Amino acid sequence: MTEPQDVPPPLTEADLAAMPFDVALAEYQAVVSRLETGGLPLEASIALYERGVALDGHCSRLLADAELRVQRLVEASGGASPRLVDLDPGDSA
Amino acid sequence: MSDDPRFSDPRPPSDPDRPWNAWLPPDRADQGADRSAALPGPHIRSVGELTRLVRDRLRAAPDLRDVWVEGEIGQVSVSAAGHAYLTLKDAGAQLRCVIFRDERARIPFEPQTGLKVVVHGRIDVFEQQGAYQLYVDALQPSGFGDLALRLEAMKAKLAAEGLFESVRKRPLPEWPRTIGLATSETGAVFHDIVQVLRRRWPLVRVVFAPCLVQGDTAPATILGALRSLARWTDPADGRALDLLILARGGGSLEDLWPFNDERVVRAVAAFPRPVVVGVGHESDVTLVEFAADVRAATPSVAAELAVPSRDDQVVRITALRRRLETLAGAALAQRRARLDAERRALDGLRPSAVLAAERERLGYLLDRATEALTGRIAADRALLERLHTRSAMTITVGLQRARSSAAAARGGLNALSPFATLERGYAIVRRPDGSVVRAAATAAVGDPLDVRLAVGGLDVRVERVRDSRP
Repeated sequence: MTEPQDVPPPLTEADLAAMPFDVALAEYQAVVSRLETGGLPLEASIALYERGVALDGHCSRLLADAELRVQRLVEASGGASPRLVDLDPGDSA
Repeated sequence: MSDDPRFSDPRPPSDPDRPWNAWLPPDRADQGADRSAALPGPHIRSVGELTRLVRDRLRAAPDLRDVWVEGEIGQVSVSAAGHAYLTLKDAGAQLRCVIFRDERARIPFEPQTGLKVVVHGRIDVFEQQGAYQLYVDALQPSGFGDLALRLEAMKAKLAAEGLFESVRKRPLPEWPRTIGLATSETGAVFHDIVQVLRRRWPLVRVVFAPCLVQGDTAPATILGALRSLARWTDPADGRALDLLILARGGGSLEDLWPFNDERVVRAVAAFPRPVVVGVGHESDVTLVEFAADVRAATPSVAAELAVPSRDDQVVRITALRRRLETLAGAALAQRRARLDAERRALDGLRPSAVLAAERERLGYLLDRATEALTGRIAADRALLERLHTRSAMTITVGLQRARSSAAAARGGLNALSPFATLERGYAIVRRPDGSVVRAAATAAVGDPLDVRLAVGGLDVRVERVRDSRP
């Protein structure tokens, strides 16, 4: 979280894209807690609110749209590190 | 004297006149019973000495300290102290066995005459009776196989090393991003685990290392898979696995045997990340499960335990959103009211240009926030509906559904927080069955009602019904 009176910078698409769910959720919780504490100037409140909305959208999209990724380790010969091959989870049986 | 060699005279028949003890070595022959230790010659021992010598030899023999033997139980007797004495026999020999009371209590099987059994123990000498005996510490009916016994022995050994200690158990990471999976690539287990992960937490990535899970070659392939997974790091960010799932479907004790392999058990205990093991059905027990950080009853349960629940997180996000919107709404209403008051004051005072500009700015911020708020509500509703449809489709286990909808209901209640409304002076009126009274006409004079206030509640009775329809 930012300093109490600071206005956090707006989150860009790139910021969000790099944010795993747990990081975004923790940030979202911090935003709401800060707003609940109150005593913020209007600008800071609104900036926090917008930040919360962006994080909310990001978390919700991750939950709604995530597709499980399954990759298979394939041992390479000669001590090279193993490769990963994507498996289609649809026909994983 | 008969011709029986056992009773023959030891003296050489050629000289019947020699003294009776002439067959002794000459230096002893004339000294009779004088057996001074200082004298050279054969060491004549006491019975106790000889017995202890035999005892010590037997005790020193490594292959007699750890003995498996199979045979049929002959006589069985139990002493007043609770020790069991029995003979084991086969076609050509007998073996005396003792099971002390403590061991008897531990062995789940009562020896009975005529049963074929496999026993484990050590050979020792019972000096008072001059008998060597097997001191039994494990006993199972034959045909049960000795696997169960070997399992117990291996378990005891590894437990003694502290491999199964609870202090060794690592907690699972709350938010795993990459899960290693070691199991067979054929069979239902891989499919089941992937299904559970996709339904429950599709945000995770699975790195799958196939291995054999049955037969003599299985342990080597399991070790290979664990080695590869332990070494694996994401080429993009260098992160290692967050945890490992090692799984296999149900089977007989023989089928599950690779998961009792000492090397496999040690590899699981030494794995650099927490390990969830789900082998067999609920009732199957293998040694890897004791070495695991988390032991799951089945492979599917292992997958459940490995990741958070999407449904729970949807509830959590929804609750956060409600708090956020309530906060924003309250903040806006408060500012709007202050702005209106200011505007009225300014209107009366013929506003200066500076104040007008400030008012303009505040108005802009408020409009921006209000817009964001109303826009969000519509988008959220759409998203929630989408999530809802998706959950309903993917959640197939009835229990899971019940659990998550209970969680959703709880989360929703907290988020709605009707009691926050009570703070503003409203009350909730309920019938004794808990249903809420919404219209006066649904109550009758004399009905007992429960009034919930922000602080405490009232038990009241209806005096009059004023039925004014809207």
